[in-house]
Amino acid sequence: MKKIHILGIVIIAVAIGAILTTLNSTSTYASFREASEAPDNEFHVVGKLDKTKEAVYDPKTDANVFSFYMIDNAGTEKKVILHKSKPQDFERSEQIVLIGKAEGDEFHASEILMKCPSKYNDGKPQASN
Amino acid sequence: MEYIGEHLVIGKVGNVFVILSFVFALLASVSYFFAARDNAEAPSWRNIARWSFRIHGFSVFGIVGTLFLMLYNHYFEFEYVWHHSNKEMPMRYILSCFWEGQEGSFLLWTFWHVVIGFVLQRKAKEWEAPVMSVLSLVQAFLASMLLGLFIFGEHRIGSNPFTVLLREHPDYGAIPLFQNADYIKLLDGRGLNPLLQNYWMTIHPPTLFLGFALTVVPFAYAIAGLWKRKYTEWLKPALPCTFLGVAVLGVGILMGGAWAYEALSFGGFWAWDPVENASLVPWLTLVGAAHLMLINKNKGQSLFTAFALAILTFVLILYSTFLTRSGILGETSVHAFTDLGMSGQLLIYLLFFLLLGIVLLIVNWKHMPRVQEEESIYSREFWMFVGAIILLVSSFQIMFYTSIPVWNKLFGLKMAPSKNIINFYNSWQLPFAFLVTMLVAIGQYFKFKNTAPKEFMKKISFPVIVSVLLTALFSWLLNYTNFLYILLMFSSIFAAVANFNYITHALGGKIRKAGASVAHIGFGLILLGALVSTSKKEVISRNTSGKSIENLVEKMSNNDNILLTQGDTLPMGNYYVAYTGKRFEGINVYFDVDYLTKENNTYTKEFTLSPLVQTNPRMGNVAEPDTRHFLTYDIYTHVAYAPLESVKQQQEATKDEYTAAKNVSMHKGDTIFSSNAIIIFDSLSTQFDKSKYGIGADDIAVKAHIRVLDIRKKYEATPIFVIHENSVQPIASKVDELGLQFMFWKIDPQDGKIEISVQEKKSNIKDYFVMQAMIFPYINILWIGCVVMALGTFMAIIERLRKSSSH
Repeated sequence: MKKIHILGIVIIAVAIGAILTTLNSTSTYASFREASEAPDNEFHVVGKLDKTKEAVYDPKTDANVFSFYMIDNAGTEKKVILHKSKPQDFERSEQIVLIGKAEGDEFHASEILMKCPSKYNDGKPQASN
Repeated sequence: MEYIGEHLVIGKVGNVFVILSFVFALLASVSYFFAARDNAEAPSWRNIARWSFRIHGFSVFGIVGTLFLMLYNHYFEFEYVWHHSNKEMPMRYILSCFWEGQEGSFLLWTFWHVVIGFVLQRKAKEWEAPVMSVLSLVQAFLASMLLGLFIFGEHRIGSNPFTVLLREHPDYGAIPLFQNADYIKLLDGRGLNPLLQNYWMTIHPPTLFLGFALTVVPFAYAIAGLWKRKYTEWLKPALPCTFLGVAVLGVGILMGGAWAYEALSFGGFWAWDPVENASLVPWLTLVGAAHLMLINKNKGQSLFTAFALAILTFVLILYSTFLTRSGILGETSVHAFTDLGMSGQLLIYLLFFLLLGIVLLIVNWKHMPRVQEEESIYSREFWMFVGAIILLVSSFQIMFYTSIPVWNKLFGLKMAPSKNIINFYNSWQLPFAFLVTMLVAIGQYFKFKNTAPKEFMKKISFPVIVSVLLTALFSWLLNYTNFLYILLMFSSIFAAVANFNYITHALGGKIRKAGASVAHIGFGLILLGALVSTSKKEVISRNTSGKSIENLVEKMSNNDNILLTQGDTLPMGNYYVAYTGKRFEGINVYFDVDYLTKENNTYTKEFTLSPLVQTNPRMGNVAEPDTRHFLTYDIYTHVAYAPLESVKQQQEATKDEYTAAKNVSMHKGDTIFSSNAIIIFDSLSTQFDKSKYGIGADDIAVKAHIRVLDIRKKYEATPIFVIHENSVQPIASKVDELGLQFMFWKIDPQDGKIEISVQEKKSNIKDYFVMQAMIFPYINILWIGCVVMALGTFMAIIERLRKSSSH
């Protein structure tokens, strides 16, 4: 076989490998309910902070534990324990994405992504002081 | 309503420039198209085309100038100016206002294309007409991004910074401020995003956009080559700009990495973030294209791939624009810009040029020259071709994973990126990096056409041995056990050593010809620096404060942060750290932390680091790191959490203010803690002189004896429980030296339990914050590599230009 054909086959094999590993290593977006049904699996859960319930962060006790309540996009509310320090401007978040596992009645998150609209969209014109 | 003081004329002027730029780009493209034909009318078309492009170019300068004036003079009546600037912003960031907004960044891109177009008009000679025709068409598309025209009712083409007045904007028009005819005097802008108020953000975007803009040159030449059926003559003229693109885009990307390292708090210089990937991938294909164009110029092989890569690179730039600006990345990248409703336009733009390229390639496939004999495996062309293919596959892997949101949208899937995307990308890209650096090392030792195997082995053996020795040495020093890392370390060292050897031996030390080798040395160093500093990155901020009374035990507990209280000294890494306090400078809050070393029980201060939080009440606070640079490592620190809400309270706290009461039940002998003392409930007494406290003889009164101990002294507090006329009226007892106040609220006579409250003075509460610190070993190798690679590429470009002008 011509060298160029060998090369071609190798490339296609590698490309297929790239596609397959991509599909295998992705997590899934899910709701709290779906995450509870598969408690050993890690999911991404999207939702909003429940501002009416308390968010507890006591760094003097443990700087790496922060708990709050979140309502996912399907409407379920759950207590969330985040194993990181409280993100700056947490209360301003418009949308939260949690990465973690459901555990009993709570959701234990190891990562959090926040979308804060105030950086781009928010803020009505105001009179200057 | 008549508004006072609005500067509407300048908006109209800007809008005229926008329309002119679009119209004349279109005209230039069409006239250059006709000028590219080989007939008698071509020269006159060319004149029209040249002038059209010049008018287009000057209109673009006009847009830039007008927008600058509006920003400089704070004309907040225009929504763009209001959105991206304010009065208190330092003037040096005014340029950043251009690229904070989508319209502004398209403008920047268009601007660079104009500069490139002016150069091409003078230098492209016989290629001017077809190349400029393509470039002008690209410009027409870009100019349309600024039009802000409404067609068929609802659909808007582009977004125009000059025609949208704040008071007419759908989101803001209805607010009461605009009932006031004099509203201009009261208006201030929203201001710049705190992340952009940083000197890196004044240099990284323009450099990066120039890099993007330069990819249009090989693209336009490739298209022109296919169109005019001159399949190899375009390679040489296009080379300098292509390599310039490699240099500038590469530097731009690396600046982004440096910015991320210096100003962001994720702890690193590369996060495989979609926005980062979207600029890296076209760079990889551009490198592939440039190298194939280079060897093809010498020996006509792999021509088709050169065409394909040149076209692909520009299309990938368009795709990355689409990805980052259409909002489709939404949840997966915290970098993503918001959707301005231009995603449809961007998609059309992308598909048009993609199809143009594909169609031309298919049509011309049969006509392209081929070389009959196969390349020898011992030839430079063969290995450079292999290298270009590896770069292509590497780009494919990155792009495929980065485009997950696109696959989700197209196929209705719900894939989310894995939590550990950095590991995922690294697991693929490390082997690719290994292969590429190996090729970088040995590529130049192959001659064109063929190399005698024995000769090759002889020449390469010296660098191989040196590299193996160095790798063994460093692996041992750094305690490397991961085989893949050792392999990559070897290949990047090999790339640097082999190229250095090439300069001294094959080139006879002639620096002028050494551009490529120098650039390759830089590339090897970049990968080596990236490998070592990332794989040996160490978080040193384990929580050693141990202040907990209760320990929360969690399975996934993350101990990457340390709680620092003002006045305490804690061990961290090789140092002892002491948080000395906060400093306010303008909108920044600096947290000063001293780093001490201890010898024989004496502490010496080595240095201070002050990570900060940039406060921005409107847009949210942003933490920025402070890093200490040593020769062989960096200590990188940033604020993970700081209780800034109470900043104002702390500043205003008078000496006599107490915090809210903390109620607690105690039995005799029980112990509780305040922030500065131990509190023990000793006993109760009912026999005491009531009149001394103003208690009536008929009232019930019980005194509690509370022992209060701090490190040095013992105090006693005696709060009294009083029932006067059926209501509880406790009498407080203070320990002023410790700033504590006690009140006695309840008593359970049965089991001797009492309920008291403890209050501390606000000035007792020690300031604290949570910090994360990391060590990046040998990261300077990375930065040195960046400089060397840029230097080498520029050297090669200059040498090539010098050679071609002397012919």
